[in-house]
Amino acid sequence: MLRKNYKYYWWCQVAGWGFVWLSMIFFAYTFDQKLTLIWLKRISLVPFAGIVTTHLLREVIKRYNWLLQPIEKILPKLLIAVVASSIFCSLIQIAGVQILSLTSGNRKLDFSTRLLASTLDNGLLIVPWLLIYYSYHYVEKSRRQQVGTLKLEALVKELELKTIKSHINPHFIFNALNSIRALIDENPSRARNAITELSNILRSSMQAEKLETVSFEKELNIVRDYLALEHIRFEDRLKVEYEIDEDTLDQPVPPMMLQTLVENAIKHGVSKQLTGGFVKIKSDFSDKFHELIIQNTGHLNGSINGDGFGLTSTRNRLQLLFGEKANFEIKEIGLNLVEAKVLIPVDVK
Amino acid sequence: MRAIIIDDERLARSELKKLLTDYPEIEIVAEAANASEGIEKIENLNPDLVFLDIQMPGKTGFDLLAELDRAPHVIFTTAYDEYALKAFEVNALDYLLKPVEPKRLADAIQKLHYQEEKETHFNPQVNVNRSLLTDADQVFVKDGERCWFVKLGEIRLFESVGNYAKVYFAGNKPLILKSLNALEERLDEKTFFRANRKHIVNLRMVEKVEPYFNGGLLLELKGGEKIEVSRRQTVKFKEMMSL
Repeated sequence: MLRKNYKYYWWCQVAGWGFVWLSMIFFAYTFDQKLTLIWLKRISLVPFAGIVTTHLLREVIKRYNWLLQPIEKILPKLLIAVVASSIFCSLIQIAGVQILSLTSGNRKLDFSTRLLASTLDNGLLIVPWLLIYYSYHYVEKSRRQQVGTLKLEALVKELELKTIKSHINPHFIFNALNSIRALIDENPSRARNAITELSNILRSSMQAEKLETVSFEKELNIVRDYLALEHIRFEDRLKVEYEIDEDTLDQPVPPMMLQTLVENAIKHGVSKQLTGGFVKIKSDFSDKFHELIIQNTGHLNGSINGDGFGLTSTRNRLQLLFGEKANFEIKEIGLNLVEAKVLIPVDVK
Repeated sequence: MRAIIIDDERLARSELKKLLTDYPEIEIVAEAANASEGIEKIENLNPDLVFLDIQMPGKTGFDLLAELDRAPHVIFTTAYDEYALKAFEVNALDYLLKPVEPKRLADAIQKLHYQEEKETHFNPQVNVNRSLLTDADQVFVKDGERCWFVKLGEIRLFESVGNYAKVYFAGNKPLILKSLNALEERLDEKTFFRANRKHIVNLRMVEKVEPYFNGGLLLELKGGEKIEVSRRQTVKFKEMMSL
């Protein structure tokens, strides 16, 4: 990268100063000046001195990090640098003329006049050089920043997905383990089943981190296991109903999403009811959507009303996977009844 | 030692009971499946110890404690309530994580015995009159997210704020939902003195007594609070102090 940039820099230097050199010849030719060899040699000193000077100028800019400092702070320094390098450039030219004895016989000017004239000329070349140098770096910098921001955004999205996916409530796990321990004496075969159910949930929550989507059937099996475990805890305080259209079983869904919604239905709904409540899971096609509905006893309280982490992230996750048409909403649909609805667009072939 | 288990899950209660069979000195006198039931049973049976779940339908375990006049010894049982347990700032409280480790239960019960012993040693006649609260009795105070178990002896001042009472102890002054009159009835008047319409003062926390205009007094408490004693109560105060 750096080597490539360095090569690029030298190409620009040669091309730029070469252009200056050629245009000087061109103007001389059009204005019908005599193109003597001495004159040509003298003219050639301009790009040579220019490259040496601007290269040194670049070294100064890089060494003191002038590119990174705010422009209003650096402007006076730049002005001084321009004047200094113009003078320096002229000195090289004059020295070259003297050493190679390229003086044209007809014009005899004293040293200070020559220096001043030539400094002004060179200044007119060094200022554009500096402008080009600076604008290149500004464009480059903002481009790099944009790429950086994009990369960061992608990373954030990926991390978000990961955290949502692996979300399984520790409160649930420990409560389930506690119930299972009590069941070991009371109902050993139920206890054995419960351990299988818990392992299924844990396994799929771990796999969920790797997969983008799973079939609805798989997800539903997890939810059945989950609800069976919660049933051990809540006993007759929890009633579960399913209304599943079998054709929806093959539809892709985000892993652990239904599970999270059902978990919330129990955590914020049923478990807060003194006399218990129910959870109903419906899955069907409606229009061009796969419609998933979770109804539960309970109220929506202000804090989870649309803004809670789980709900916003559920919507984001759906839209990341299935596009803008996918939707998620949750609302109270009756006295003590909450409904969460997921809409996933179906590919119609 | 008589205990009550309060947990909304039947299996959790039965598991804890099973674990407690190893401790014959702890007798389970009742069980409750929610906070309201729990309050009723605590008030009727006056247990020495309560095993209390924090998350329950309706009211939480903290709400339950805040409604009691006198907080019993409490061991919290919870599956995973990192945040709820953080609510306790200063007080050492005991809690068991479900599923309960037998070793942790043994520690908790031992700690309890030690505390009981200490209390009976310093306050031999604790159980004489259960309707009156003494210095050693603790109350549970909940203010928003923060909770405390406070011994009455540590409280300097109750201040009436509408329907609430502001409780001053150490560097805190949380609000509790109790009227000053109700508090006065339950507090031992030898220690807690009604200085005026709005304040009940712990007399052991009084640092300075100064005469005030109109024949009243001004009490300065250890926390720096200055409380005016009404003229009528000044007479009573002088009577009590002259003994």
